[in-house]
Amino acid sequence: MNTDDLIRQLSTDTRPVARNSVGWRLAIGIVAGSIASGLLILASIGVRPDLGAAMQGPSFWVKWGYTLSLSIAALMMTAQLARPDSGRLRGLWALGIPVLLLAAVGLLELARTPSSQWLAMWLGHSWKSCPWLVLSLSAPIFAGLLWSFRRLAPTRLRAAGAAAGLSAGAFAATVYCIHCPEVSAIFVLTWYSLGILLATLIGMLVGPRLLRW
Amino acid sequence: MQTTEEHLRALMIDGLDGDAAAHAALLRQLVPLLRGFYRRRVRGADDDVEDMVQDTLIAVHTRRATYDRTRAFTAWLYAVARYKMIDHFRRVGRLRPIDDLEDYLVGDEFEASSIAKLDIDDLLKQLPPKQARMIRATRLEGLSVAEAASAEGVGESDVKVSVHRGLKALMTRVQGAIR
Repeated sequence: MNTDDLIRQLSTDTRPVARNSVGWRLAIGIVAGSIASGLLILASIGVRPDLGAAMQGPSFWVKWGYTLSLSIAALMMTAQLARPDSGRLRGLWALGIPVLLLAAVGLLELARTPSSQWLAMWLGHSWKSCPWLVLSLSAPIFAGLLWSFRRLAPTRLRAAGAAAGLSAGAFAATVYCIHCPEVSAIFVLTWYSLGILLATLIGMLVGPRLLRW
Repeated sequence: MQTTEEHLRALMIDGLDGDAAAHAALLRQLVPLLRGFYRRRVRGADDDVEDMVQDTLIAVHTRRATYDRTRAFTAWLYAVARYKMIDHFRRVGRLRPIDDLEDYLVGDEFEASSIAKLDIDDLLKQLPPKQARMIRATRLEGLSVAEAASAEGVGESDVKVSVHRGLKALMTRVQGAIR
């Protein structure tokens, strides 16, 4: 096609673009994916029956605080990598804060528990399924982010894929909290993080293929 | 440079606010910039250049939401253009990774043959263009006299005469250089 014709054709479709449309687009993808993951929990493993009571106690909020703050830090990375001129990533260190805080809580809990119970505390009742459930629940959220990226312009596809995978994993873990009855911080620190890490890894692997534009 | 940046950025922002005329003007003004950008990087492949220019224009249009109005427009533009160039060559498969390239460059062979090629190029340049073309076709590219003749649209005897005269001229030149 002739370049002039192309320009004429492109400019017939000049809709106004909101200032923070990158953020909006990512938010829509994340929220839609998270709703899908929530529905998936309702339809399969179910919400923990004592959710209302658990929300009164501290351990639920420790978990949510961890996953939610990790989600936000990951989303900030994703938003930066969604632009072509992303340059140096700002705020990468923010990802470390939730991890360090949760580790501190975990150490505190360990110190107050007799060492004979440490293993039970670490493995909980669901250590075998937890990472896989987090990973599975991250799939709809990752799909939502892929939709977001259809109008975005990442140029570092591997990093962008990893950031999208990390966001999907962290949000999936946040959603998973409505099912998971585990209480100890070291459980969350290990098994939740493992699921999130797997999602990140998969994002990194598929990023160059799926995020091309 | 400053004025170009300011000017293009103003057009981009108007386009983002929904001004179709500004957006069209922006895309038109990007064409020479992008052609220059790609020509400097890929020599001799005008089709590739035009493909990449069009791909980039489409990307500038469809991905314009990723432009941050507080940042430099040309930095954003060239980031898109660079990505489109890498993507283009990845698709065409013409870029080789460097470690693969090393296999091609291994040893003195490459150097020796490159130097020989440079010498031959120098010598052929001193001949009349027709003789140089004929020698190149029959002696370097391995065409037969008949093939070279039909490619050039001349008679076979004409090819033979040109090659003969050319080689003779080269011979005297080389011998003169040695003495």
